[in-house]
Amino acid sequence: MSKTHPSHDAPQGKRLGLLAQFAGPEELVAAAEKATDAGYQRVEAFSPFPVLGIDEALKNPRTILPYVVLMLGLSGMCIALLMQCYMNGMEFPGAPWGLSGYDFLISGKPSFSIPAFIPVTFEVIILLSAFGAFFGMILLNGLPKLSNPLFRSERFAAATDDGFFLFVEASDPKFAEAETEAFLSSLGGSGIEGIDEPVTGHAVPGFLYLVGAAVATLALLPPMYLWATSGTTSTVPRISFFKDMENQPKVKPQTTFALFKDGRGMRVAVPGTVARGGLKDDAKLYFGYEPEDGFVGGPRRIEAMLASYSVQPVADGPDADGADSATPPAADQPKEENWVTEFPVKVTKELMERGQQRFNIHCAVCHGLDGGGMGLVTKRALELEQGTWTQPTSVHAESVVEQPVGKLFNTISNGVRKMPGYKEHIAVEDRWAIVLYLRAIQRSQLATADDLPKDKLIELSNLN
Amino acid sequence: MATADITAGVSGKLGSVPEPWIDPPWVEGDNDYKSVTEKVCRISENPRPPLAWFVSFVIAASVAGMFGAMIGYLIITGVGVWGNQNAVAWGFPIVNFVFWVGIGHAGTLISAILFLFRQHWRTSINRFAEAMTIFAVVCAGTFPGIHVGRVWFAYWLFPYPDTRLNMWSQFRSPLLWDVFAVSTYATVSVLFWYMGMIPDLATLRDRAVHPIRRFAYGLLSLGWTGSSSQWLIYEKAYTLLAALATPLVLSVHTIVSFDFAVSQLPGWHTTIFPPYFVAGAIFSGFGMVLTLMVPARQWFGLKDIVTTRHIELMCKVITATGTMVGFAYLTEFFIAWYGGNPYEQFAFMNRAFGPQAWAYWTMISCNVISPQLFWFGAIRRNMLLVFIISIFVNIGMWFERFVIILSLERAFLPGSWQSFVPTWIDLGMLVGSFGLFFTLFLLFCRFLPIVAMSEVKHVMAYVDGKAKKAH
Repeated sequence: MSKTHPSHDAPQGKRLGLLAQFAGPEELVAAAEKATDAGYQRVEAFSPFPVLGIDEALKNPRTILPYVVLMLGLSGMCIALLMQCYMNGMEFPGAPWGLSGYDFLISGKPSFSIPAFIPVTFEVIILLSAFGAFFGMILLNGLPKLSNPLFRSERFAAATDDGFFLFVEASDPKFAEAETEAFLSSLGGSGIEGIDEPVTGHAVPGFLYLVGAAVATLALLPPMYLWATSGTTSTVPRISFFKDMENQPKVKPQTTFALFKDGRGMRVAVPGTVARGGLKDDAKLYFGYEPEDGFVGGPRRIEAMLASYSVQPVADGPDADGADSATPPAADQPKEENWVTEFPVKVTKELMERGQQRFNIHCAVCHGLDGGGMGLVTKRALELEQGTWTQPTSVHAESVVEQPVGKLFNTISNGVRKMPGYKEHIAVEDRWAIVLYLRAIQRSQLATADDLPKDKLIELSNLN
Repeated sequence: MATADITAGVSGKLGSVPEPWIDPPWVEGDNDYKSVTEKVCRISENPRPPLAWFVSFVIAASVAGMFGAMIGYLIITGVGVWGNQNAVAWGFPIVNFVFWVGIGHAGTLISAILFLFRQHWRTSINRFAEAMTIFAVVCAGTFPGIHVGRVWFAYWLFPYPDTRLNMWSQFRSPLLWDVFAVSTYATVSVLFWYMGMIPDLATLRDRAVHPIRRFAYGLLSLGWTGSSSQWLIYEKAYTLLAALATPLVLSVHTIVSFDFAVSQLPGWHTTIFPPYFVAGAIFSGFGMVLTLMVPARQWFGLKDIVTTRHIELMCKVITATGTMVGFAYLTEFFIAWYGGNPYEQFAFMNRAFGPQAWAYWTMISCNVISPQLFWFGAIRRNMLLVFIISIFVNIGMWFERFVIILSLERAFLPGSWQSFVPTWIDLGMLVGSFGLFFTLFLLFCRFLPIVAMSEVKHVMAYVDGKAKKAH
């Protein structure tokens, strides 16, 4: 009943071995035992489920898989512990690619809080060990191997159903076609057939691997580019998949908005509203001058302020809301006698010191610490021969010394010539403090002998 | 069957085959290896699956589609579509997450722990339970994924080099442990499931007629031949994976319970949580296995392979774990009283007699009382009753997690107490996750071997004693 050639008509390659079928698992083990006893070394058994005793019968070597799993488990432990200590316990500022580590200080736990690191370590051990068991099984078994000469035997399909097979390889030193066939037959094997090396079939053309590698590499470029750009600065908007809150549907300042009649995105306040702290009803304090009508705060000003809300603002009215209006219109510039000559705030030592500190912060860079007009910026500008630079007038110049305090306050608030106004940067009390300090340094430069106390004067004359 | 003279054994030890009236065989009827192959493969090879499959699939897929649409709505609109609020910030998403993760545990338990204990009855149901695990973990993973709010930043959960912030994940937080535990669990479950399926996929490959089926199963079975050297390494790998999955399954729900237990909230901050969560997970998982298995063995004609005895054993596991869970509920009350912490005492009195007491008593009746019915053999053997009680177990375990989350309603500061009211999106997503689960499960039943044929044959040969019987 033996059939030494497969049924299909394809040309035959080299003989690989003989395949015989057995009735059940016990018969398979018995046959395998006899085959190895007879001196066959390259025998393999095939069965739909693991057959007990077959490994001893075939003298199959033990597998190294458990050691692979052990090694991967141990490396999982090391990797997890090092990873957590590095990511949560130490820091290398400036390390590239976001690999700087981060020393978290959480709940007063130490940087290397091993007990808290155990759960993740445990999971990583299991994960890597499981990879070891699974991929170790796949690789040690030589899988995936989708093409196998045995699959060409129709009978062999039963090996995954109810068939038990023994295969003697032609490379076995004891293999001889006729004798082996007779031997297998004597063991109770049925349907013995020869398995040949396939000569027909399709192989994947070599260049396809190259194409595949190239496509895979190219496919990596866009995500790599996104990753690289996400952490670097750039003059154009960053490319991001999820815009998140980068583009918000809102009206931004100084833009148009069609829904409103006047087309302006920004709205003016409702008539009669005054912003918090915007009711500057003390003209002497806030603007440094006494109004014409002598009325403190000036009904004229407040009236104008409130009236401005009721009319549509016009394009050339920069202070249309009036609340922050500090510059009286040019034609409305107060007359000299209207400037405040007395400080509208209480003059104290603290105010003087505050003024000195503010002056040194805001003014001295250009005006110099002594107010003489030779601050660092001025020196530098003169050094560079900047044609556009206007040197500040010395505060000790007669024209400045003669100015009433209100006018000095106005200059600080609104600027003069090239000097910008500082009312947005310096609080109103601080501006008065600076004016007070200005008065002090003016006096320090223009002092006369009468300004000195008597005893100091005597001391000085003694020195001479 | 009654071949008492045949000697066969497990692990090479020869022992007498048990008398059928003492220890009935695990595979019933006049089955041999071929008929087992035939019965299992027929399910996925049949060009016309039963009508019940089509009806179930259409319903499940529609519900899953609704789930997808709701997730889309959530992403576009924001997490405000849920009932989550300042007090109950976790709400349904975390209830559903813990519920599904818990269900997943039975699969690994049946596969791994019963394998290590050489419980041969597992072979008929382990594939089924493993598939259930994976699909349950898919559902579970969805919820924390969408609960983060900005779903597209879900990758922030994992430690990765951030070039903008130069910061890393916080490894001292249970929520991060959870990320590692659940993703490891999902990965290992898939590996375990797939590896167990390779020999059976080879069976499907060798039986396939249509070239597409032949190609697909050929690719998936990786060229498995069933040679003795392959089986040797395979069995070693399977044992190792089982040994690895056993501590893993216990660790996963332990870590999930840390999400609660490591916090300071009364009712959450207890050391009983890890064992209590693990028992509950096994309990709920077996409940879900029964819910799926009872109709499936009916529809797919698997009554010889998944016998009444299998069902009875699972019922007994449910009674055992249900009683453990009940004991944990009592212990919580005892410790609240014995610990003398007034906040803890209030939390538990509030659970049982507060405004949401209905949830607590639903949980008690479903989890503690209903499984006690399985003490009666007549109930264990009545498939309709088994099915109904298994549904009760599922309901009860969902409510257990709901009751735990409701502790957030009334924490330390009465000024910030707030009652939780789910929205229709909350409810829809709960139902929708079942749709996703059943869709995946029905697809699995249609296209993959739902019983581990090679393992069943092994049990037939060496436990039922067919090894010497000529087929």
